[in-house]
Amino acid sequence: MSPRRQVTLYDIQSCFEGIIPAAIATASADGVPNVTHLSRVHLVDDDHVALSNQFFSKTVRNLAENPRACVEVIDPHTYDRYRMVLRYERTERRGPLFERLRRDIDAIAALTGMQDVFKLRSADVYRVVELELVPSAANLAEMRDAGPDGGRES
Amino acid sequence: MIDAAAKEFLEAPCSLIVGTVDDDGLPDATRAWAVDVEADGRLRVLLTANADVALANLRANGRIALTATDFVTLDSMQVKGHVTAVEPRTSADEVRFDSNWARCIAVLVDADLAAAEVIERFAPPGVVACVMVVEAIFDQTPGPAAGTRLAPTGIRS
Repeated sequence: MSPRRQVTLYDIQSCFEGIIPAAIATASADGVPNVTHLSRVHLVDDDHVALSNQFFSKTVRNLAENPRACVEVIDPHTYDRYRMVLRYERTERRGPLFERLRRDIDAIAALTGMQDVFKLRSADVYRVVELELVPSAANLAEMRDAGPDGGRES
Repeated sequence: MIDAAAKEFLEAPCSLIVGTVDDDGLPDATRAWAVDVEADGRLRVLLTANADVALANLRANGRIALTATDFVTLDSMQVKGHVTAVEPRTSADEVRFDSNWARCIAVLVDADLAAAEVIERFAPPGVVACVMVVEAIFDQTPGPAAGTRLAPTGIRS
């Protein structure tokens, strides 16, 4: 079993800056996995993240059948990887969260010259039911160096 | 099913992400580190050795999705199928991992996407190999056409 470190969503805020694309895995009702990149995962609060829904994609169709997903995000400063298990809670089509995601999508569309292609349909909110560091070789070496108390003095 | 263009794309340095699912339908996302298209069309995929959930899922039911994305253009391809074996890495796998890892770092540094010393932190603690039979291929390039089936037919996923 690999060592896992306890983290919170606020500990990994830089993962939600949209600098490195995330990965999302979903599964259809009959158990066929699908995996794709996400331009950005949005931090909502201590326990929730939001994903933008722009197209009627396989990811969206899978989540309508099976409301669980697994997302991997990467810290753009350290390249640490974090694995999150999500459960769908609600969809927002107006309000501050929707507007925040819409501005982000509009900015990406403008940068890529695809204003007519990328258009936010909804902001989908998920509860984060698991969050953990996926240790790289560097992380494991740092953990070994820090010792069993994580390097903290008692 | 894997033609020359698909083979070239999958074996090129790119971002490789893997989806699996447990027997209760809970999906998992992890990373792969190199793909080799074998002569019979099966894929030899190098997975993170400490991807405990993904490896347990593959041993339980074999269902797998793999998406390869060009770091710079974001052109993407998803292959779906099943895994017939999960094996310890061989010396040839280690050579393949080292070569692909070096090529990935070179692409990312050349494109000014990250510094080499930061990317090095991303390296996994080890890899294992799985053998994948491909059953379908999809265009996964971001945009409204993502999910279009490229093989065996031209319908959406």
